[in-house]
Amino acid sequence: MSTAEPAPTYEAAVTRIEEIIRRLDSGQAGLRETLALVKEGRDLVEYCAGELDAVGQGLEELRLDDLVARLEGTQGARSDA
Amino acid sequence: MSQPAIVAAPPESDLPGPYEVGGYAARLKQELQKFARVQLVGEVWGLRSSRARVYFELRDARGALPCSMWSSDFETLGLTLSDGMKVVVGGGCDYYPGSGSSSPSFTFAVSELRIAGEGDLLVQLERLRRRLHADGLFEPQKRLARPLLPRTIGVVTGESGKARDDVLAGLQRRGWAGRLVWAFVPVQDRQAAPRIATALRDLAAMPEVEVVIVARGGGSLADLFAFCDEALCRTVALLRVPVISSVGHHTDRTLIDDVAAVCCSTPTHAAEAAVPIDCTAARADLLAAGRRLNVHSRRAIVERVRTLERLAAAPTQHIARHRRQLHQLLRELRASARRAVRDGRSRSGVHAAALERTVERARGSERTARARELQRLALALAAHDPQRTLARGYALVEDRAGDPVTSSAAARAAHDVRVRFHDDVIDAEVK
Repeated sequence: MSTAEPAPTYEAAVTRIEEIIRRLDSGQAGLRETLALVKEGRDLVEYCAGELDAVGQGLEELRLDDLVARLEGTQGARSDA
Repeated sequence: MSQPAIVAAPPESDLPGPYEVGGYAARLKQELQKFARVQLVGEVWGLRSSRARVYFELRDARGALPCSMWSSDFETLGLTLSDGMKVVVGGGCDYYPGSGSSSPSFTFAVSELRIAGEGDLLVQLERLRRRLHADGLFEPQKRLARPLLPRTIGVVTGESGKARDDVLAGLQRRGWAGRLVWAFVPVQDRQAAPRIATALRDLAAMPEVEVVIVARGGGSLADLFAFCDEALCRTVALLRVPVISSVGHHTDRTLIDDVAAVCCSTPTHAAEAAVPIDCTAARADLLAAGRRLNVHSRRAIVERVRTLERLAAAPTQHIARHRRQLHQLLRELRASARRAVRDGRSRSGVHAAALERTVERARGSERTARARELQRLALALAAHDPQRTLARGYALVEDRAGDPVTSSAAARAAHDVRVRFHDDVIDAEVK
């Protein structure tokens, strides 16, 4: 990943954040690159925080049987219509 | 149905015969009885008994065989068989040729029968394991990418088992509280394997399910045999989502453990493998990463501003530094000059004194030398002093003018002379 677009997965985002921080810590990035990396890093941190929030709001337990039954019911109603 | 008007004569055949069927059936019986006597393992189905014999079918996933046993032999065993029970039978092929009034039948004549033990199951298991491995079914699941932080996890387990609580405990330990889709299935009986396979397929069909756990507590190998079902294992191997298995304890290894992406010893570990990161620690790491980014962001501006300020002040500082250096050099130069004058003066005084001493020394020695010379000259003069000669008794004749008269002729010519003695001069007349 080389742009500030949202990462497709949490692990890719975490890996990219680590790369960005390593690059910034090296002190080799110029001003323009530093600002671009900081912006990209902040976007990724925000994305990861969103992912962590999604699995931190409280356990949601579903039953496969219910889901399958609901799905079959929906399909049945659609075919009846 | 209309019959053909003309029945064609059967075609001539190259095959031997025709023989009497009874004779052929008897021969068939003899041939079948020549088959080696063996042991077979399978599940009992359709058990029924007559007065003389007990009948049942021995089945497995790939085929079946009709079996029969003498009732007296069966009763001696003292076993109670039921459908689905796994047994090992020993015996050989037999054929009842039938008769004009009874139907023929093939049977595997059982002379020994026992409930299948773990050893029998292990042999079966190993054979199936080799087959699945040869078909390359151990690899596909292991090649699947496992998400670090799945939002939705599917779990296939028994509804009333302890595995359910263990999975929840494992997820709680990870600080994970996302969406769980439970697929409760039988995990032990004959129906377990197809139900588990169906549940897995249904879960994999849900796009939001990112990983599936298959969990069951411990039990005997026979209890866990549903998880060694070939069809189930083939289903797992080809699923699009990674499957994490935890079936039995670590001493038991079922075939689903081999084909799954990851095999864990307990349902708690399986839950932890499904969520490889500790969410609480991940939040802390993320916070730290955010702080570091802020530090870099601030530093990028502030430090550069400081650098620019430093650079801007550099020329003035440079000049001031050089001025200070010049002043210092000037001070040193003056001090050095003063020192040089003072030292020179001091050295000149020393030299002058030394010179004076040298002159004095020179003067003294010259004076002495001159005195000596004078003395020598004086002595030399004294040696030539006529007075001294006069003192020894000689006399000097001078004319009136005082010039010495050195001959008698001159004395005569002068007539009047003066004769000088050492103590006085007297006038004399030459005659």
